[in-house]
Amino acid sequence: MKKTNLFLMIFTVLVFIFLYAPIVIMVIFSFNEAKSLGVFTAFSLRWYEKIFTNTEVWIALYNSVWVGAVVTAVSIVLGMMMALAVTRFNFVGKPILDALILIPIIIPEITEALSLLVMYVFLNIPLGPLTVIIGHAAFDVAFVTVVLRARMAGYDRTVEEAARTLGANELQTFFRITLPVMYPAILAAGLLAFTLSFDDLIKTLFTTGPGFKTLPLIVWSSAARGGVSPDLNALSTFAISISLLFAVFRIRAEKKMRGV
Amino acid sequence: MSLLGSIVRKVRRSKRVKLALLLAPPLAFLAIWFYAPFIITGLYSLDMITRAREIVFTPSLKYYERILGWRGGLTIMLRSLYFGALTTVICLLLSYPLAYYISFKVKKHKDVLIVLFIIPFWVSFLLRTYAFMTLLDERSFINNILLSLGLIRQPIQLLYTDVAVITVMVYDYMLFMVLPLYANLEKLDKSLLEASSTLGAGPVSTFLRVTLPLSMPGILAGSLLVFIPAVGEFVVPELVGGPNNFMIGNLIYQIFLGARHWWIGSALSILFIALILVLAIIYLKKVGSVGLSF
Repeated sequence: MKKTNLFLMIFTVLVFIFLYAPIVIMVIFSFNEAKSLGVFTAFSLRWYEKIFTNTEVWIALYNSVWVGAVVTAVSIVLGMMMALAVTRFNFVGKPILDALILIPIIIPEITEALSLLVMYVFLNIPLGPLTVIIGHAAFDVAFVTVVLRARMAGYDRTVEEAARTLGANELQTFFRITLPVMYPAILAAGLLAFTLSFDDLIKTLFTTGPGFKTLPLIVWSSAARGGVSPDLNALSTFAISISLLFAVFRIRAEKKMRGV
Repeated sequence: MSLLGSIVRKVRRSKRVKLALLLAPPLAFLAIWFYAPFIITGLYSLDMITRAREIVFTPSLKYYERILGWRGGLTIMLRSLYFGALTTVICLLLSYPLAYYISFKVKKHKDVLIVLFIIPFWVSFLLRTYAFMTLLDERSFINNILLSLGLIRQPIQLLYTDVAVITVMVYDYMLFMVLPLYANLEKLDKSLLEASSTLGAGPVSTFLRVTLPLSMPGILAGSLLVFIPAVGEFVVPELVGGPNNFMIGNLIYQIFLGARHWWIGSALSILFIALILVLAIIYLKKVGSVGLSF
């Protein structure tokens, strides 16, 4: 028994090393003075200097952020409507609606992105920021709906009824009771939507127009063209720190959401 | 005026109108920007859209027939299924001991360990894939260590091989295996294991005859959650695979944007989506939609 436990423990530690090693090593080598990816010579910020003086990187970051913000706003409004409809009303065809919400989560993104591109070209819609935003929102709505619906299922409606009894109309009740109570869930869903959009590569790759690049697109094109390089390590480390920051916010919002 | 007023009041009270107002915008959005593209793809696959982008009502299955009779394409499809299956099996072999250890053997700080496990997956898929490339590269740190230890004579090129594609997919998808497995093991009634050993079963037979069968739902859920996206993987083979490690996602991409043959590309997409939907239906029938809400 003791031996098995020891084996399991070592195995688990090894899996953890497997999970962390690539990221940790990449981060370490992004601070390497030499161009080498194999020998760490001295600490240096030269690769960061190189990427932060590159205007293309700043433009891409700016694009990623504003696209993410618009996608989040659209997904939250539409996802909220859908979640309200599903949790508060009984109607025929609910299972069909459930399936329509699940399919965007299941279908491989590559087929979805290429189909959307086919339609854009078929309808002569010029590619650019707008087509990217639509592409991201088309599946973010489904994720937001799933998160909000899970929260609303356990929602206590007596407070709303009390508000109505006390003379508030439906809109007042929604804005002054429902929204504040739902706020942590909306925040969690919004951060998820933003992260999905901010990290998205495939949808952006196929629905963007000439010259409109996001951060993942820059990483993708230089990794696909030149493989591993120290400045790409620095750029990736920078992008990872943004992802981790958002993940921490999201987890805190989710904790709050479960706590309330 | 009073007539108008009463209509307004009726509309306000009518649940149906409210439901329609709530559902119409999101459904219209999904219908136009998510579902309509697949209908257009479907029309292309049936040869119902011409080169001049006109819709004609003479469906034909010729592109499907061409795909099913095309050896090269079939090889890539089989390779995708094989890569997907291998990724799933390796994920399971790595994840089961880990989930089992944390769930059964760790007494304190289980939650901390699970969060520690999840943190690397907060990094985006693309960046995790790139991070792994820094290890696989022939100039890498790993190669240097192996060289200086004298274990290898010349740097090994791991990038652009089957091994690289599968290793990175395991790395990218392990989360989807561990989470349902762990949730399942946590819910498992531990008194059954005590009963089994009280009745004389050794640890091995308790594991094989009690624990393992009871964790089947977790295994199935994790396997499908890994297999479904792994089969359709595009980024990993594109970045760490060579031209001989292509999968179906890369093939579809090549046909659409390389060869610009939208008809065959569409037919291949539709066939692939049909396969994924069948797998998803199996998942929902056997497991329910629990694991999909994260």
